[in-house]
Amino acid sequence: MTLRLKKILLLMTPLAIALSFATAPVQAADTDLSLSDQGIQTSADGGLLEALMFYACAGVTLACGFAICLSKNIVRMAVYLFGTLAAVALMYFLLLANFIGVIQLIVYAGGTLILLIFGVMLTSKSPWAKFEVKRSELIAAGIVCALFAGMLLFVVVNAEWPLETDAVVVGSSMTQFGTGLLTDYLVPFEAISVLLLVVMIGAAYMARQE
Amino acid sequence: MTQFSVPWKQSPPLEYRGPARGIVALARMVYTMATPIVSRFPGPILLGAIVGGTLLVWAHWMLFGWVETIAASDVNGAAQSVWGQTLTTAEIGAYLDSHSIVASGILKYLLWPLQLELLRDLVGLGAIFGLFNLIPVYAIWWERKVAGRIQSRMGPMRVGGWHGWAQSFADGVKLVGKEDLVPEQADAMLFRVAPYLAFVPSLLAFLCLPLGSYWVFRNVDVALIFIIAMVGVEVVGVIVAGWASNNKWSVYGAMREACQMVSYEIPMTTVLLIPIMTAGTLNMVQIGDMQTGGWFSWNAFHNPFTFIAFITYYIASLANCKRAPFDLPESESELVAGFHTEYSGFRWALFFFAEYAAMFVVSALAVTLFLGAWHTPIPATWAFEEDSIVKIFLNGVLFSSPFWFIFKCFIFIYIQLWIRWTLPRIRIDQVLYSCVQVMFPIACVALVGHAVWMVLLDGTVVSDIIRWILGLLTAAVTFGFLSVAAFGYRNGRQMVGYLAVKQLPGA
Amino acid sequence: MADTIAPTNPADASAPRQADVRTEEMLVNMGPQHPSTHGVLRVVLRTDGEMVLESVPHIGYLHRCAEKIGENVAPYQYVPYTDRMDYLAGMNNNQAFALAVEKLTGLEVPERAQYIRVMFAELNRIASHLVAIGTYGLDMGAFTPFLYCFREREMLLDLFESACGARLTYSYITVGGVTDDLPDNFVDVCSEFLDYFEPKVDDYNNLLSYNHIFVKRTGGVGVISAEDAIRFGLTGPVLRGSGVKFDLRKAKPYEIYDRFNFDVPVGLPGGTGEIPRGVVVGDCWSRYYVRVKEMIESVKIIRQCLRDIPAADEKEGVCHKKCKTVKLPDDEVYLEIENPRGQLGFYVKGDGSAIPARVKARGPSFCNLCVLEYAGKNCLLADIPAIIGSMDVVMGEVDR
Repeated sequence: MTLRLKKILLLMTPLAIALSFATAPVQAADTDLSLSDQGIQTSADGGLLEALMFYACAGVTLACGFAICLSKNIVRMAVYLFGTLAAVALMYFLLLANFIGVIQLIVYAGGTLILLIFGVMLTSKSPWAKFEVKRSELIAAGIVCALFAGMLLFVVVNAEWPLETDAVVVGSSMTQFGTGLLTDYLVPFEAISVLLLVVMIGAAYMARQE
Repeated sequence: MTQFSVPWKQSPPLEYRGPARGIVALARMVYTMATPIVSRFPGPILLGAIVGGTLLVWAHWMLFGWVETIAASDVNGAAQSVWGQTLTTAEIGAYLDSHSIVASGILKYLLWPLQLELLRDLVGLGAIFGLFNLIPVYAIWWERKVAGRIQSRMGPMRVGGWHGWAQSFADGVKLVGKEDLVPEQADAMLFRVAPYLAFVPSLLAFLCLPLGSYWVFRNVDVALIFIIAMVGVEVVGVIVAGWASNNKWSVYGAMREACQMVSYEIPMTTVLLIPIMTAGTLNMVQIGDMQTGGWFSWNAFHNPFTFIAFITYYIASLANCKRAPFDLPESESELVAGFHTEYSGFRWALFFFAEYAAMFVVSALAVTLFLGAWHTPIPATWAFEEDSIVKIFLNGVLFSSPFWFIFKCFIFIYIQLWIRWTLPRIRIDQVLYSCVQVMFPIACVALVGHAVWMVLLDGTVVSDIIRWILGLLTAAVTFGFLSVAAFGYRNGRQMVGYLAVKQLPGA
Repeated sequence: MADTIAPTNPADASAPRQADVRTEEMLVNMGPQHPSTHGVLRVVLRTDGEMVLESVPHIGYLHRCAEKIGENVAPYQYVPYTDRMDYLAGMNNNQAFALAVEKLTGLEVPERAQYIRVMFAELNRIASHLVAIGTYGLDMGAFTPFLYCFREREMLLDLFESACGARLTYSYITVGGVTDDLPDNFVDVCSEFLDYFEPKVDDYNNLLSYNHIFVKRTGGVGVISAEDAIRFGLTGPVLRGSGVKFDLRKAKPYEIYDRFNFDVPVGLPGGTGEIPRGVVVGDCWSRYYVRVKEMIESVKIIRQCLRDIPAADEKEGVCHKKCKTVKLPDDEVYLEIENPRGQLGFYVKGDGSAIPARVKARGPSFCNLCVLEYAGKNCLLADIPAIIGSMDVVMGEVDR
């Protein structure tokens, strides 16, 4: 990765932000204020402030995403990843999906990311490892990414985006969430539980002393 | 002043210029003026600060509430927003005139900005930031005093006169004035960023932390997990700090922190499910308001499993905010200073702010979830009707108030200090052993036991009897501790050198 | 220094069993500026994660040519230099050198001075052990016992100050006796202190010795068997912690130690009597506890001294009259005494003049430190301070 390419990509970041400014949908502004009395946070009317926040979060996400690709230092990458995850969590908060946002923080930022850094520090050749990319790897990754980006673009262009939805939140989202998990979505929930159990048994098996 | 010739380059001595000069002069003036007064009347000043702070928040609340009523009455309850539909000064003036309030000419201009939610939030954020800064400052001072008394010495006594009350401020000024050092071989960017990664999450945790039923900045439905997430995310800063320092001891500290935090979050969150199950919500305000019925309605005494959960949570929370005996990430006898070995000055202070704020947050969780939140042991059903300011005040003193909440939190912070200055540190393998093989099984058993209890025994006579027994036992133990402490305080005033001064010749 | 350590073979039998997830080995410099190396000791650790595979002590940061100085000054002038070797037990160091010179020259020490010497040597032993115990707690992360120990040590230092005017480097015990007689009320004040101090040992035990975490941290850690202890030439509490009942005060009584009645505490296996479970003979806890027990024995000796000490004799004084003018015969002598840290020996060779031809010290800390490489192997990082602390080394004496 040459310095020139790095500069071009860094220049593209504000461009991408500007692009997302131009194309992002405008949020519907009719949330129910009485919900705030029940302890359910509603957004500030979806006005300019929210739009600004959305673009800021999107910008941080994109910038950190590019930075992950451009950085050669593994721990720095992890920190940029933290930025991406946190900004996405903030976006969830803006969309009134508090629970998902918090879970994003607690599971990815607080758990997985730490394990990631921990693993890097524990197993790499030295804690100060550099991440070198070969040219062939770069080309292969570029092709895959281009295909993926094309697919996403295709979906974005062709899909219909219904701007008007029903009431955003009714009642406590947590109660609905819990009830949903144990009624309509019981089978996937149990399947994930079994998967985690298997993972735990496997980990215990690997960690046990001979 | 003597000038020494040294082989390295010397920078000229720091001079305060511009606004900094004024701030320094002002601080010096305030200090010299405050010191004699504080030394003379420490008690009244403390009380005055508590009452004054309370009144200030009340005034804020009432003022904004009043403007809200204006808005509601005049514009048919239309939503207020930053750039949405707002009242004009003329409309406010009309409202004031119709209610025959004097001085409306100026008042309408003063009231106009108060309808903006952004301004309200800014005021609230200011209050939270102030609280967030004051708690570590006084927790650090208090820790030094408590440590001093435990170790038969006095602790800080000089700065500010009365028991060194300004010691932490003086330390803060010193730390801010220090050179901002970044080691040459360190990853400078991460080294600079890391303290903020630790500091900001613990500040954010205060956003959702209710100090009372209405004393909360954002009453979020997932407040509990949000706070846990913030306490957890704080670790990222610590790990990055340890790594970026380019110091092997720091890396050890960071690795220990990662290891310890990830493992202790599991039993901690598992036992937190128990009060959540009891309350049926993740909303901290609702959980707190469910425990209005006095001492015996507090969640910790609900059944034996909640009591076990409370103790398990407290131990896990010690590990989570890296307090002794789990202070391995910064164990000074093994790792020099652990992850903050290379830090100095302001960035070092940020870590300490984060740590002491985290201590307060985990204590606040313990209080809110298990020990009646902002309620006193007296049942709130006995409270007065709030028809006069005196009765509101009495209700605050006797039944529920943020003051009580902070008081309870500081009891738990005190226990953290007490443990720290009493117990040796445990080893990393013992930390992990106690997590995986002791705490986690206990947490699981408590969780299942509590679920079974809720299905089978909740609301029966057995449940009530157990609750009373547990409550009385805890009360007896607390009383015993307090009497021992009082006895020790009366009889144990034995300072270092005290006997020597009294008895020995030549001294 | 880093390249002097060869990388280990993972299949090596001595490699730790727990290390299933093998990480990259790392060389870590512990010291010379490290809080728990008790001075300027530098230990190079070869670590695998939290495991320490090898620890190599490097010394010499505090070398002050103390022995060479002895060949340029008269013995009574050299006494203050012995203070600076083991600065926590100045009295014992003075005593060792004074005894060696007296044996060489045949100076007679007045009986009262001998009692005073024994008394102050034992008081200094208590003071030294108080520092050892307190800082050992500090190494384990327990801050408070450290200050309690120092509270009591302050009183001891007050006693020393009343006798000789100094609080750390006494030079009180000198060739031919002691420099000054005791102050008038010393016997009363000293026995008052002993009455105050003896129950405090129970406090230390309750706070630290029997603390569950402390026992877990130190029990079974850094075990040195009795054979190995003898093989390495260990002495003092480190030797006795391994269960070898050997104390020069009993085995080869010098001065007037044969007149006193006291025990020699040794390390005992866990579960017997007051020893908690999990303790193994020769581990850190045993070495630590031998020191606690020795303080009680020292109190016993001092009580007997205070009881038996002869009244002051104006004519005889407390020091031999020729202590500053004595010539050293053309002969050599080597004499060892029991220092708080082990056997401190002085070799003095005279050539007929007033100045020794050769002075050499055998420092207990130096000899005890050599076992670190053996004991600090395949343990956790947190065990290294535990092991170093239980050796109770004083770097001033290691490097001299």
